[in-house]
Amino acid sequence: MSATAGMPRRLGERETIQLFARALRYVAPFRWRFAAKLALTLLSLAPRLLLPWPVKLIIDHVIDQDPIAPAIAGYPGFVRGLLSPLVAASPLEILLWLLAVQALLVLVIGAIGSTAAEVDRTESTLSSGRDTATTTENEANFGYSFVGGLLGFFEFRFTLRLTQALNHHYRSRVFERIQSLPMHAFDDERIGDAVYRMMYDTPSITQVCYRLLVTPVAAVLGILVTVWVLHDAVSASPGIAWAALGFLPLAVLTTLLFGARIRAQAFGSREAGANTTSGIEEGFANILAVQSLGSEAHQRQRFARESWASFAAFRRLVLTVILAILFGAVPAAALTAFAFVAITDLVIDGTLTAGDFALVFAYFFQIAGYALALGSIWIQLQGSAAGIGRVFELMDWPSEEDAPGADPLAPVRQGVRVEDVHFHYPDGTQALRGVSFEARVGQLTAFVGRAGSGKTTLASLLPRFHSASAGHISIDAVDIERVTLASLRARIAFVFQETALFDASVEENLRIGRPDASAAEIEHAARSAGADAFVRALPEGYQTRLGRAGGNLSGGQKQRLAIARALLRDAGILILDEPTSALDPESEARIVSALHEAARTRVVIVIAHRLSSIRAADQILFLEEGRIVERGTHAQLMSAPGGAYRSFVELQNRGNA
Amino acid sequence: MSEASVLSPQPGPGATATGDAEGEAFSLRLVMRALRRCLPMLRPVRGHLVRFSLAVALLAVIGAGAGALLLDLHWTRVLQGEPLSRFEARLLALDPALSVHVDALSEATRRSVRNRELLLGVALTLVLFPVGSALAYYLLWILQRINQELRLELFQRLQSLSLRFHQKSRVGDAIYRLYQDSAMVTDLIQTVILAPLGQALRFATSTALVGLLDAQLALLLLFTWPPALLLGALFTRRLRHGFRRARASNSALTSHIQETLAGIRVIKAYGAEAREQARYEVRSREAFAAAFDARSSFAALGVLAFGLVASALLAATGIAALHTQQGAPLFAQRLLLAGGFTAWNLGLFNFAKGTFGASTQAIERLLILWARAQDIAVGLDRVFELLDVEPEVRDAPDARPLAPPRSGIAYRDVSFAYQPGRPVLTRVSFEAPCGAVTALLGPTGAGKSTLLSLLLRLFDPDAGCIEIDGVDLRRVQLASLRANVALALQENLLFGATIRENIRYAKPNANDAEVRAAARVACADGFISALPLGYDTLLGERGTKLSTGQRQRLSIARAVLKDAPILVLDEPTASLDAATEIELLQNLTSWGRGRAILLVTHRLSTLRHADHIVCLAGGRVAEAGSHAELMARAEGRYRGLVEAESAAARGAAPLEPT
Repeated sequence: MSATAGMPRRLGERETIQLFARALRYVAPFRWRFAAKLALTLLSLAPRLLLPWPVKLIIDHVIDQDPIAPAIAGYPGFVRGLLSPLVAASPLEILLWLLAVQALLVLVIGAIGSTAAEVDRTESTLSSGRDTATTTENEANFGYSFVGGLLGFFEFRFTLRLTQALNHHYRSRVFERIQSLPMHAFDDERIGDAVYRMMYDTPSITQVCYRLLVTPVAAVLGILVTVWVLHDAVSASPGIAWAALGFLPLAVLTTLLFGARIRAQAFGSREAGANTTSGIEEGFANILAVQSLGSEAHQRQRFARESWASFAAFRRLVLTVILAILFGAVPAAALTAFAFVAITDLVIDGTLTAGDFALVFAYFFQIAGYALALGSIWIQLQGSAAGIGRVFELMDWPSEEDAPGADPLAPVRQGVRVEDVHFHYPDGTQALRGVSFEARVGQLTAFVGRAGSGKTTLASLLPRFHSASAGHISIDAVDIERVTLASLRARIAFVFQETALFDASVEENLRIGRPDASAAEIEHAARSAGADAFVRALPEGYQTRLGRAGGNLSGGQKQRLAIARALLRDAGILILDEPTSALDPESEARIVSALHEAARTRVVIVIAHRLSSIRAADQILFLEEGRIVERGTHAQLMSAPGGAYRSFVELQNRGNA
Repeated sequence: MSEASVLSPQPGPGATATGDAEGEAFSLRLVMRALRRCLPMLRPVRGHLVRFSLAVALLAVIGAGAGALLLDLHWTRVLQGEPLSRFEARLLALDPALSVHVDALSEATRRSVRNRELLLGVALTLVLFPVGSALAYYLLWILQRINQELRLELFQRLQSLSLRFHQKSRVGDAIYRLYQDSAMVTDLIQTVILAPLGQALRFATSTALVGLLDAQLALLLLFTWPPALLLGALFTRRLRHGFRRARASNSALTSHIQETLAGIRVIKAYGAEAREQARYEVRSREAFAAAFDARSSFAALGVLAFGLVASALLAATGIAALHTQQGAPLFAQRLLLAGGFTAWNLGLFNFAKGTFGASTQAIERLLILWARAQDIAVGLDRVFELLDVEPEVRDAPDARPLAPPRSGIAYRDVSFAYQPGRPVLTRVSFEAPCGAVTALLGPTGAGKSTLLSLLLRLFDPDAGCIEIDGVDLRRVQLASLRANVALALQENLLFGATIRENIRYAKPNANDAEVRAAARVACADGFISALPLGYDTLLGERGTKLSTGQRQRLSIARAVLKDAPILVLDEPTASLDAATEIELLQNLTSWGRGRAILLVTHRLSTLRHADHIVCLAGGRVAEAGSHAELMARAEGRYRGLVEAESAAARGAAPLEPT
């Protein structure tokens, strides 16, 4: 895949850390909200300490009917407070009291105990598919609380808003960056890949932020408090807490063994997915070619292959995760068995009551859960590393930037001067070799030459779609490298060879270069470009929506709209790349005259093959292999016997005559 | 037009929320419709699904049986020291004298019961856990296969839809439907079939088990249903609406990104970045806001559902605690005697609490699944919308393959309109015989390209017909028709692949020599060989630029390589200089002997190579004939054009605007 050709597929640990550090920079505007989220999380975790108690109290004081009075001294403060009115109560009263407390808990935090069926979690995971891309929508809209009830719902909404704000901010920065990439970044680039990065890779930031910012603090505090309560509440053997903490090194070990592999496979899964979207994008953007060449079966096979490859890549990732879990399961079972034996021994000894078993075991699982969360932060983030990596890779493509201290360019008064300009493409192809010329306001300049002689390249240097490799281009004696890009392009209207129209109304398409143009100005421009008549004949005139890539318009109609767009821009420099290639002679004549009209107050540069467009040019520059080999008016050039331009013209006339 | 209504994602504020077109009050219908459509897709994996379900059921039965036994052993025997039942003693291989016929278990016996119970539990976990994981992986594979089938079906459908559809639809929308919406089919299986079945089974067995202990508790579970159903009913419409809006706005966002990228050149050249950014951010916010509403409702339903079932569980805990405290008799005493259970004890309390919890959890999960099913049904609805668009152009039932043409193509009174009431072609008739070059000439917008599209059946004519060797195109198989036609388009569509692959596109098995030969005919071999990587130049790679003229020649080479009896060229030389044009046309004429060549052009120089010229104006044939015939007409349109152009070319009369 072209876009990823040069990327390191296997990120090392160091690069991964750098990626995360960079991702966290996007959190800066949200730091207070993240702090609030952390506070809410701690608040929601606090009641967990209380949750194992009701069932223990029911077993000991309701079912086994042990009196409260002697036991209460050993309970932690928050439980003593709860039980103090009940010292002399009957088991039934104790039961009702406890049920009332639990009912209150349901309302506030949606929990009545510590088993899965007794604790609610607020979330909104919707169905997702079976490969990486289709699971990202849940990530981009991640909201969560460890509890339910009013608190849980509030925290959920707060988190969801925060996640979305973060994702919106991050995606918008990516979009901004994409728009500032050099002109040609997407000419042949695979758009589907970029769409994938924008839509499906960016949500990776969600998990990175929560896991790095919230989980460690919550887990460490959770461990400390729970260990303390366990010690304070029951004189349980410290071995139980240590066994629970054993989940931390276990998770770290699993990370060491599987982390890099998971990361690499997550990359693979995302790339396979991006390949599939690229295939879809290309197939449907080029549907005309596909259908007319009868290659539907070929396209379908390709799509089938790519789609299945993306499923397979996701499956490999899942398999590795399953293996990692199975690997950890044996030591985890051993740690749990150890705690189980230790606690039952204490019950059999008579040190603990039967109710304490549930209590201590619940705390054991809470500590183990925090330890596991802490230890597996890194491994959990490996999937996100792949997504973040792909996003930053896109953002690191060189973008267009203004030189330091660049000034805005003033409206064009005199003209353009090009001095000894050379240009070669990144792949080494030499396109221009020492081109110099001047094009003044009031002049129509034509670039003429065979295909591939460098005409389009030369024109594209003026708005800095490319920068010259050597030499200078100046406008009104100001070097264009020293002015801001925005102001430079604001002075230029450029008509591309292949016209690009948007899926919007005719009017919106024309307005692109000048959003505040009045209806009269739009019509005037359209009339000059010979577009007014056919636009009026459209079902809704200027308000007609064009549909994808110009919809039903013919090649010549699209070309005329593109010219109208450029005329409307009212810039000092007008550049047209083969403006009349798809036009019939009549339309062409009309446009040529419009260009001459425009040239009175502007610099007009036309690239053309067709003589009719260039004959009346004030100067003709004839290019050959990146050099200007002849220059002058039509008459001057035709009077040179054996001249390159003259033989070019004669060849064309021979075809016509 | 049915296809117009399909394109639900219309950009613009507010328009993204399509709403419930059907306005179904009872959304079970939506879910059932999705289900009905999806069931046939299960056929290929039917065997796998049955095997999977049996395995899961087996695991569940083993789990429930072992769970009850282990809880009893642990709570009642180990923790409280009550004697074992005979069955338990036999299972654990303990001496009944020490474990059954005693008042209370000794500490040593409690420890050895504990050890054996632990061993049993660990052994069970180590067997069941990997099996469970393997099953999860198995299910993933099954679901992916189903999704793959649907994606392929959608892809094929999209490809077979006529250009009229594609000109109006958005590429981003296709991506979103193919990718995100179609993924829902796997979850439909999971969320609407497998999971509800599992939860219903869980509810039924747990409720039955609880009922064995105490009938009141089972009744309590049953009475939890009416309020749960009410809750579900209250949320359904709101959820479905929210999910639809979320999907539509996300799809619009995807489209917007795709379109911005496709049109980035114009955006940058015209300094429209800031406005595009603003528009993007509006769309993005809309999409997030829609997701927020939908997900908030969903979460609220979850919170309320838990509140409901937790209240029932709380009540059940109280009742069970009282029963246990009093050692109350069990409801189905006789039945349970066999297992050694006679009255409520601590093990049964925990078992009852756990089992009742499983039941309430099943109710809660079923509600959540119902809510999630709304999202899935909405997603699949969007998929089916697309699948239900009938391709306008398709094979007639009795369509036959087209034999290689011998005499030629004939347009007979062809009329066509892209939009009703705005005819592009009106009763156009002409012939393009094999062995001749037929040129179509006319002002822009006269309908020339449309005539070519009709030949390929990218559309079908509204009236009249096109025949090849006297056979109406509508009676031949589409694939065989397109196999007989090679086309080079006005817009040069290249793929992100090497030059070689691009040329080979219509004939993937062509060898290098053939590719080269085709490139030579198209005058492309020269510039391709001059590229550093030649035919292996990747067109997707940044930095490698082809000019429009070069791209044009690649697409001609592609058409030439296809080696079809009919060659169609739409403005083949628009971006070529005179020298290249002459060479190309000479090559094509000699290569094309015996073929029917149809070309559209404005250029008189190109027309000179035609045997037969058809002049179009306003969607009608204005004139037709050979160059000589047309020049012989005194007031002929063609003659006028030629005279004007050659006068201009000679420079005799300066060209004046009309």
